[in-house]
Amino acid sequence: MSDYREENNLQNNPDPNYWRSFEELYKNEKTLEARNHEFADGVTDDFNPNESLSGISRRKFLALLGASAAFAGVACSDYRDKGEIVPYNVKPEEIILGKPNFYASTCTACPNSCGILIKTREGRPIKVDGNPEHPVNRGKICAKGQANILNLYDPERIQQPLKKNSAGFDNIDWKKADSDIIAALSMAGSKEISIVTHTISSPTFLKVLEDFKSKFPSTKVYSYELFNNSNRNSAWIKSYGSGNFPLIKWNEAKVIVALDSDFLGVEGNRIENSRLFAESRDVNSKSFNRLYVIESSMTLTGINADYRMRIRPELQFAFVMSLMNELNKKGVISTSLASGFSLSDFVEKNNLDKEKVNYLINDLIAYKGKSIIHAGDLLPENVHIAVNILNDLLGNKNLYRNDSSPVNLINLASLDEIKELVGKISNGQIAAVIHLDCNPVYHFPSDLNYKNMLGKVPIVVTLTERMNETAQFSNYILPVNHNFESWGDAKNRTGVISLQQPVISPLHNTRQKEAILLTWISSSPETFSETLYHDYLMKHWETDIYPSLKSKIEFKQLWFGALHDGFLLTNESAQNVGNINLSSLDLNQASIDTKGITLILRESYQVGDGRFANNGWLQELPHPVSRITWDNYAAISHNTAKSLNVENDDLVEVSVGGRKLTLPVFIQAGNADDTITIELGYGREFSGIVASGVGFNANQLLSSKPDFSNWVYSNASITKAAGKYSLASTQEHHAFDNPRTQDLHLKRHIIQEGTVSLYEKKPDFIQEHRPKELESVYTPFQYNEMKWGMAIDLNKCLGCGDCIVACNVENNVPVVGKDQVLKSREMQWLRIDRYYSGSPDDPRVSVQPMLCQHCDQAPCENVCPVVATTHSPDGLNQMVYNRCVGTRYCSNNCPYKVRRFNFFNFRDHFRDGYQESSLLTLMFNPEVTVRSRGVMEKCTFCVQRIEEARSEAARKGVPIKGTDVKTACQEACPTNAIHFGDINGKDSEFYKYRTHELGYYVLEELNVRPNVTYIAKLRNIHTEEL
Amino acid sequence: MKKSLLDYILRNRLPLSVFVIISSFTLTYFISRPERDGVGYTPVQPINFSHKLHAGDMKIDCKYCHTNVDKSRFAGIPAVATCMNCHTIARKDRPEIIKLTGYYRDGVPLPWKRIHKVPDYAYFNHSVHVNKGIDCSACHGEVAQMEKVGQMNSFTMGSCLNCHRNAHDKFPELKNQIKKGPEYCSACHR
Repeated sequence: MSDYREENNLQNNPDPNYWRSFEELYKNEKTLEARNHEFADGVTDDFNPNESLSGISRRKFLALLGASAAFAGVACSDYRDKGEIVPYNVKPEEIILGKPNFYASTCTACPNSCGILIKTREGRPIKVDGNPEHPVNRGKICAKGQANILNLYDPERIQQPLKKNSAGFDNIDWKKADSDIIAALSMAGSKEISIVTHTISSPTFLKVLEDFKSKFPSTKVYSYELFNNSNRNSAWIKSYGSGNFPLIKWNEAKVIVALDSDFLGVEGNRIENSRLFAESRDVNSKSFNRLYVIESSMTLTGINADYRMRIRPELQFAFVMSLMNELNKKGVISTSLASGFSLSDFVEKNNLDKEKVNYLINDLIAYKGKSIIHAGDLLPENVHIAVNILNDLLGNKNLYRNDSSPVNLINLASLDEIKELVGKISNGQIAAVIHLDCNPVYHFPSDLNYKNMLGKVPIVVTLTERMNETAQFSNYILPVNHNFESWGDAKNRTGVISLQQPVISPLHNTRQKEAILLTWISSSPETFSETLYHDYLMKHWETDIYPSLKSKIEFKQLWFGALHDGFLLTNESAQNVGNINLSSLDLNQASIDTKGITLILRESYQVGDGRFANNGWLQELPHPVSRITWDNYAAISHNTAKSLNVENDDLVEVSVGGRKLTLPVFIQAGNADDTITIELGYGREFSGIVASGVGFNANQLLSSKPDFSNWVYSNASITKAAGKYSLASTQEHHAFDNPRTQDLHLKRHIIQEGTVSLYEKKPDFIQEHRPKELESVYTPFQYNEMKWGMAIDLNKCLGCGDCIVACNVENNVPVVGKDQVLKSREMQWLRIDRYYSGSPDDPRVSVQPMLCQHCDQAPCENVCPVVATTHSPDGLNQMVYNRCVGTRYCSNNCPYKVRRFNFFNFRDHFRDGYQESSLLTLMFNPEVTVRSRGVMEKCTFCVQRIEEARSEAARKGVPIKGTDVKTACQEACPTNAIHFGDINGKDSEFYKYRTHELGYYVLEELNVRPNVTYIAKLRNIHTEEL
Repeated sequence: MKKSLLDYILRNRLPLSVFVIISSFTLTYFISRPERDGVGYTPVQPINFSHKLHAGDMKIDCKYCHTNVDKSRFAGIPAVATCMNCHTIARKDRPEIIKLTGYYRDGVPLPWKRIHKVPDYAYFNHSVHVNKGIDCSACHGEVAQMEKVGQMNSFTMGSCLNCHRNAHDKFPELKNQIKKGPEYCSACHR
């Protein structure tokens, strides 16, 4: 080496950046010369194929290869072999091959504990619907509950217990894990054992925790929810002394005033709320409630409002007090509480629409006792107290339900208690922390530094289904059973207890979390058995619950009855609403500085507080308002964006109290000025291939010392950061000020709307816009027997998107991923179109579910060169996957753009073939073909259900009826907005909607004669004109 | 010798055409013969079960074993336990029954060779056909006479449509009870 240097160093300075060898670095001449030749000297010298290789020529080799392949093909394959049929050795009695079984159970995806009906085929759960007999959710279940089936088969579930080592995790067996943990727990002595968990809604689980406490007396339970109604409940206790905020008779309210309350979106049991709300949006009974929404962010409730006003959350208290003062002035109520407020000043100062406020005041007077004012979870306690007082004074107390009231089995830990826990950890007073299926590292405010605190705890045990931020920092990770593999019960309101039963035995080496605790209580790892918790549950019911029921039937009968039904009704009286304590209102908190920007942190509509972030179906479910998938973003108003000089997709830095986050901006029409709304639940780490790195972790902005409320922070700031970030939206965002796109949906009569007063005056006003039926060049087909059709009542459709997920599950629709959504290649058969009209500050929002319209004269059918899409005699537009060659002419010719093309075999395309896992194949609906690359697909009106109904009718020997079939979207719709049936069945309920005076078809002027009727939305406003 | 047009035709065109015709005919014949569709396929089964004995001589109803045939898409192959309903007592000493008992005792499912198959994308429904009164033998042949079951008819889409279109010719005895079978796509494909 040294000689190279000596030779060349003087004239050649080595290039310090890139070199492959020292010779090159010091520019050895031989090396430089050799670099110019493709082969080194002598490499090709001896190459003589005839000598150095075997004597077979290429031609001969290929001939031999071909012949041997042909012989092998003939000799080894029996082309007639069709495989095997392997029947059961002993067939389970309840299984009929090819027929589903349904089991009633309880959904534990959120604390609402809805009753569910799990459809299983040959022992595999394949679909979840609401339990029709359950008194709370009445056969409906939200998108998260539907998509929960994907969590069960998630290939990334932890499949055996893990123990942390220096580099990662080791697999260990349950016995070892149990004995280690039991040893650690019994050494705790007087040091605290902290159990951190979400809401506990199971009475039997509560009993397990009590047993745990008596075995380990230093145990303390911290139950938390990132989003909760603690402000509302503590306000209730201050106002009325005891109890919980009651359930509301939404269906009887004539006027609903929602103050930053998303009761149709994420607050409370939204399935029940939506159903009750939509009951009084009925075109047949012609009874309409009126919804006023006064809010800061555009929410699902906001888009359904009849009147909507935008104010910042800090002003809500002054707004309620001003209303109170105005009503007092008008002599409707008498109170001196609000004497310091004036509605006219408030309206003036905050630039509210005077007319709308007047309507609100007049309605509150006119419907005194039949109205309800409802404040949102994110508002602080004093707003809730003011609202309680106002409702009380207006006599709206009789809209509080008296048949049932919410029950808290265990109070949520306050922020102070959580701070205390962290303090104890840092002082070394904690012996062990046990996380029960929760994720506090992600959920707790980042200034508590919980993640690093866990390092100071001698033993951290996390019970979880899959890896997450908390599990990553635990000594032991114990995998727990999924909802559908577990036993349990739930009680979150008086009068009903729900039962949860497993429908499949654990897929992996997992255990039920209650059984794990019971094993530790017994101090012996040998105690565990598959039936441990089942026996405990039954015993608890027999000894504690059964006697209190004073039932006349014996326990076993009652138990199996309740198990069959999925719930048990009990004779329990609801709480009494006492007299209000007017002095509970603290007026000193009223003056809040509203300068600067307000940050509002909300729960994600799709992934909740993050616990569904690993679920592709939910990630790809478009946001009900913005239609954005796979991301969260900072939503700001049009004016705020202008003043910041930012556009959609620009990155901005949001900071509050020194906590900072950079994320993309999205201009949301209808948001209050000077507010930023960010949805939490995204930006997960260590959480598997689907959840990790999706969106931004805005939990970092949470503080343990909030000044206004846990989710609203005043004095935030927002600055433009460098760069852009693409948000994947399923709908174009047209400019409001472009005359070509503005209100196009109204001009083309895609959306037809009216008002209730116009409808009362002129019931057939919609029919005036409808074009006359045109002649067709084709002879129309005569549908003499069945003809399927759908009617969608836009008065009831809220735009929540539950139908989309139901359709995905039923029809094996794949998840495509954000990159494909950006290219508009999402595969959902059903979409919800959202249209804005009016100004970007105060838009009117219309939603419309859009699916294949099954046109009688379908434009897609005429252009298919291979006749892959045809019409059936019962009116269905059929899609034959085997014939389809993928020309995409049909999609091009479809005026509704409802056809979806498989650009890839999306199962191997999405995130490294995540969906190709053999586990996920268990989830497919066996009655629906799994489509491959290169074929077109679209809504089939759930033809598999129609054919099933036909075979059932043939079995009974009766003709099929329109009511025999319910499509998946129809079953899922919480408000029953979707009707399906026989267009020729003139005496059916469906026929009323099909021929309704408010009914219209979309793009009717094209004369394609669709079979989906839309019932025009009526807005319950005071004028006849919109 | 002067080359004429006729010469060219005789020398080149004719043999080529004859070759193409013969080879297409042979190929078509080979591909379309019923054996290609599995007709006559009679595989060796793990248990030498005789339908002739059970269904023919002893006249056990098809539905005794194929219990799902009137309830579901699938006729259902009986579980080993069904066989054991009788064979815990009957003919316990025969070699095939000893083999069968072995499966039952060990809890191993019996891997029967599949004979009849429609592709996965065709959703044939047994119950509809049986409940409309169509006899099993219409598709499966006289199984009751078969010592060893084999495929008797072709199970192609053409065969399905042949019956669906000419239902009344095929089943004159059911003329008053059945209509023509559906011919639209989504009756079978979805």
